Amino acid sequence: MAIVVHVILIGVAYSIYLERKISAYIQDRVGPNRVGFGFGQAWLHSLFMLPGIKLLRLDRALGLGQPLADGLKFFLKEDYRPTNVDKVLFTLAPVIVIVPALIGFMIIPWGGMWDMPLVDLPLIGEIGGEMVHVAGANINIGVIYLLAVGSLGVYGITLGGWASNNKYSFLGGLRCTAQMISYEIPMGMSLLAVVLVFGSFMPERMIADQSENGWMVFRMPLAAVLFFTCALAEANRAPFDNAEAEQELVGGYHTEYSSMRFALFFLAEYSHMITSSAFFALLFLGGWSLNPLGVGPHMEPVAGSFLLVLAKFGIYFGKVMLLVCFMMVIRWTLPRMRYDQIMMLGWHALIPIALTLVIITSFMRQFGMMDWWMLTIANVALVAVAMALQPMLQRSLGNPTANRQIPMYGSRFNPVPGAVVNTAPTDPMALEDRPVQGAVTTV
Amino acid sequence: MSSPTLTLASVDLSSYLPIFIMVLAAVGFGVMNVMLTQVLGPKRAGARKGETYESGMTPIGTARKRFNVRFYLIAMVFLVFDVEVVFLYPWGVTFANLDPGTHEGMIWLGRILFFLFTTIVAYLYGFRKGVFSFD
Repeated sequence: MAIVVHVILIGVAYSIYLERKISAYIQDRVGPNRVGFGFGQAWLHSLFMLPGIKLLRLDRALGLGQPLADGLKFFLKEDYRPTNVDKVLFTLAPVIVIVPALIGFMIIPWGGMWDMPLVDLPLIGEIGGEMVHVAGANINIGVIYLLAVGSLGVYGITLGGWASNNKYSFLGGLRCTAQMISYEIPMGMSLLAVVLVFGSFMPERMIADQSENGWMVFRMPLAAVLFFTCALAEANRAPFDNAEAEQELVGGYHTEYSSMRFALFFLAEYSHMITSSAFFALLFLGGWSLNPLGVGPHMEPVAGSFLLVLAKFGIYFGKVMLLVCFMMVIRWTLPRMRYDQIMMLGWHALIPIALTLVIITSFMRQFGMMDWWMLTIANVALVAVAMALQPMLQRSLGNPTANRQIPMYGSRFNPVPGAVVNTAPTDPMALEDRPVQGAVTTV
Repeated sequence: MSSPTLTLASVDLSSYLPIFIMVLAAVGFGVMNVMLTQVLGPKRAGARKGETYESGMTPIGTARKRFNVRFYLIAMVFLVFDVEVVFLYPWGVTFANLDPGTHEGMIWLGRILFFLFTTIVAYLYGFRKGVFSFD
């Protein structure tokens, strides 16, 4: 298990590398390209300068050593704790954040079933000779576990923001809590709509169903969009990254954190990203299925040899990586939403739509209209109806406290009519520094 | 392949064993990292350094202040919806396995529609009270 944790963490570290590279390409930069596996150490460097592998230039392999070097660096930094913090919670919060982020992976069915041959290992004895689920754990509540564990992550962030005794952290923690619990509801409801179609919580059965009948993203496009939006918000990713808005809250809930404790928050965010991508791929992109429309030959969900398991793992992992890249491209191309917009989107739009989708899907289930085209039409029609109804609802229900800007009369930008307003800087140093031509000085 | 059906008899706690081990491993990982960095990192204290960060200014007061009541409202409305969703899951998976078009299914559907109706009333009440409006 310790090995599993470290495999996950290396994956997470390299997704940070991937994000840095993608952001660099989007911003027309190069990104990390200096640190190789030599880490600037002469003896490691000479190790990679052996004649056979000299051509690979492993000492400077595209900056691939960067995540490892960063990880090591975090250990060697000072773990500082400011004097005003709540000591117990401040220490505990990063651990509380990282635990749900790491255990979420357990039920992802990476490779389907494996017909494991009988092996006789020393010390352990005979293992195998049976069907093995290639997943951390094969539990009957399935995806509910993933949802539950994913929503546990909010505790650590709230505690971290509270314990820091810092205004930025506190605001970030509050925002983050409100946002995460708000988006949990439409996420759960879109999952419920999908479960009504599948009729099961078991990840294996969901993939088998999609392998046979086509991917869920074509049957329930609206649920897929809702789920992906909520996954972004749950993972605190842009455009919903208000909790750690650098420009306003200087990092939000992790402002006061340093060294490895800060890194744990960071790792948790990225592993949430990978988990929710895997969740999305499981529910909507058919897991290891390579049959989007459900026509033609499809992979039977039977146990297979090790090679088949490896192929399934590769397909699944490829989908997850594509989704992760998609999330990163979203982060580096879309501006951050304002906080009230995020909450309004969640409560005014996503939750009613998700609720309606659940009701419509349960009616269709009752009347046996479960063909894929019927579901697609229902989803698209719901979007159209919601868009048509929106202005009408807005008018009839009203908006008790509308989002309005109150002009501050008498301020520099909304002067009282007839008043003499000084728009020049009043600070003497600024006046001395840069005198403004024609400025009306009032003293 | 025989995947277990969702009946009470198939609840087998031994299938949760890997998860418990993983929880232990994750806790161990977190604690170990925090301890390691405390051992390995340098330690230099200072009065100014220990101050709360407020963009380099001297901090004014603490962060332990009253905050907007809206966050409480959101949390309360969240409870209504979350409890509802929790009840919907077992219903959903059982309802989906009923035969379509039967009388029994209609009863199941009607009951959950009434349950959802109560939530919709709560939602509309919160909406009219301005819980979901931000300015």
